[in-house]
Amino acid sequence: MDLNLTDEQRAFRDEVRAWLEANVPAEPLDTSGSPEGFEAHRAWEKQLYEAGYAAIHWPKAYGGRDADLLTQAIFQEEYARAGAPARINVLGLGLAGPTLMVYGTDEQQQRWLPGILSCDDIWCQGFSEPDAGSDLAAIRTTAEREGDDFIVNGQKIWTSLGRFADWMFTLVRTDKDAPKHKGISYLMIPMDTPGIEVRPIVQINNDAGFAEVFLSDVRVPAENLVGELNDGWRIAMTTLGFERGTGLGAHVRFSKDLQELVALVKALGLADDPLLRDEITRHFVDTEVYRHNMYRTLTRLAGGKPIGPEASLNKLFWSQMEARIYETGMQAMGDRAELTPEADAAADHDHWHKTYWYSRASMIYAGTSEIQKNIISERVLGLPKEPSGAKG
Amino acid sequence: MHFDFTDEQYQLRDAARDFFAGESSAAHVRAMWESDTGRSPELWAKMAEMGFVGLTVPEEHGGLGMNEIDLVLLLEEAGKAALPEPLLETTAVAAPTLLEAGTPEQVKQWLPRIAAGEAVVTVQLGGAPLVADAHIADLLIVERDGALHAVPSDRFTATAQPSMDGARRVFTVEAQTDDGTRMDADAGAIAKAFDRGAWAAATFLAGIAQTELDMTVAYVKEREQFGRPVGSFQAVKHKLAETLLVVESAKAAVWYAAYAIATDAADRSQAVSVAKSYATDAEHKANYESLQCHGGIGFTWEHDLHLWLKRGKALAPAYGSARWHRERLAADLFSA
Repeated sequence: MDLNLTDEQRAFRDEVRAWLEANVPAEPLDTSGSPEGFEAHRAWEKQLYEAGYAAIHWPKAYGGRDADLLTQAIFQEEYARAGAPARINVLGLGLAGPTLMVYGTDEQQQRWLPGILSCDDIWCQGFSEPDAGSDLAAIRTTAEREGDDFIVNGQKIWTSLGRFADWMFTLVRTDKDAPKHKGISYLMIPMDTPGIEVRPIVQINNDAGFAEVFLSDVRVPAENLVGELNDGWRIAMTTLGFERGTGLGAHVRFSKDLQELVALVKALGLADDPLLRDEITRHFVDTEVYRHNMYRTLTRLAGGKPIGPEASLNKLFWSQMEARIYETGMQAMGDRAELTPEADAAADHDHWHKTYWYSRASMIYAGTSEIQKNIISERVLGLPKEPSGAKG
Repeated sequence: MHFDFTDEQYQLRDAARDFFAGESSAAHVRAMWESDTGRSPELWAKMAEMGFVGLTVPEEHGGLGMNEIDLVLLLEEAGKAALPEPLLETTAVAAPTLLEAGTPEQVKQWLPRIAAGEAVVTVQLGGAPLVADAHIADLLIVERDGALHAVPSDRFTATAQPSMDGARRVFTVEAQTDDGTRMDADAGAIAKAFDRGAWAAATFLAGIAQTELDMTVAYVKEREQFGRPVGSFQAVKHKLAETLLVVESAKAAVWYAAYAIATDAADRSQAVSVAKSYATDAEHKANYESLQCHGGIGFTWEHDLHLWLKRGKALAPAYGSARWHRERLAADLFSA
């Protein structure tokens, strides 16, 4: 057991820290849910790309730095510590790109990877559908072969950044007669194709971050198929594995949230309230324990061991922790918690409001808490599955 | 950066697991409930022979010369087995405290005897009202008026205070301290001794919680109602998933605290308070869910579950309750 960094790792940390200090915008960018805000975020991504920080985890052959997991974690820790803007091409850099590296042809890699890396192409994920959320394999969007094309019909929902993305990686049903996991394919769709209609969905925090995507007779070249026909479910499961493996430095964000909560409570003159102190200290303990859990996960991953269902434990932990931290903040604001920033009498804590509602989403996206508990109890504890009738 | 154990450390854990499975079974723990002293000198001698008792004693005094990072998995296994013997007091607290804060005479007199299994040492720190195993202790390390004293058994008397956990034997003590018993402990050494106790109790609790969970998982796989195992109902499996989450997290917390103590890290006391408060709460969760998921059978004297439930409740307040440790953390968090 040794938690010290090597000289090389310390040098990298110092380099990243210095670059971020010099370059992170002094004023927070507008939300990426508005067209102007989105372009500001894209410009920031370009800046990262030009400095060589867009995708340090990518292999050098694809323009990355071949950074090992610890180096990635150091980068993410510094990024969170600096309060740098939210990344908008997470899905392209973290999911679509790595998926292409594993399952894409040489031609597909050359075609798409450079645009993902430079952030000229922003990618969104077309997986969820109105009737396929936690039960993702229930998707009904179809792709039927017609000559050299697929004709795609259906609807995707909860598509983050769907309004502004250039490309969407999707799961589509290519064999209606096969068992539900066996008739799904992985298809890349340009968002400017005729027949695609994107409707922003306004979230309960009043951001229009995600969208519904309607696909009506959308003609997609067959060369946009990734992997084998009807092998999309297996590919997608690999992809989701990438998603659950991210967030290596996220513990820093929660520690920052906690420090902000302490500052908020002090500013409100409530630092001596014994109940509030105990509640906030519980959250502090959680942020520390989560940090220890992340060290553990990181060591496993760095040692080449699979993270497996441990990812579900981490997801369950941080999403509940985040929601609790923000809940405490809202309650500390008392009567004025209900006010919007526009109100004369509003407490000066705009950030807190926005993030409060977003923290509630964390227990839903990327696998709800209930799904995580099913995974943990069945795959780690080995408890029996629900009878099949209950799952449809 | 490596937050894991070496192969040798895992081998020690496996050896401890096998040893306790044979020597500190539920039947043994139950026998200790019924016995006069509640302690087995034979078992203690075997533990000394295995090197467990002298694990933290330097090699020059006959021990293994290891630290908390080596000890943490052994303590976890002891907790899993609800071991009645005073490994926590003697090996986790007393031996390293004697080494760091004992006079040269005290070190020379006691460390070799500890490693050889010839001396049991117990401790009373931080104003704790009760002392574990004072009836069999050859030495008591006690905090009095800002100093630590090493008090031999002919200089203290112990009065038994029956515990709800029959395998725990706790006492109030009257100790005669003077310059002859005084150790070379400054405030920092006293604080460190207390931190060792809190960390060891937290580690023991993580082990207890693990067994409570393991017993419950095994039970709900077997027990059928409505024609299927009760462990297939989400109301049950979600409770146990939540329990696993906190038990695994408690382990990470006590591992980090072990590292912080062994390396004398700047955040040692904070890491210990995080570990003790979290592990206590984790065991509390496992304590509740395990009894709940066992149903009526778990509420019987005959079933073994309560041997662990009661140890958990007994150790929860030891070396500072969860709330006490949170208040210690809050003092830093809200200062300035």
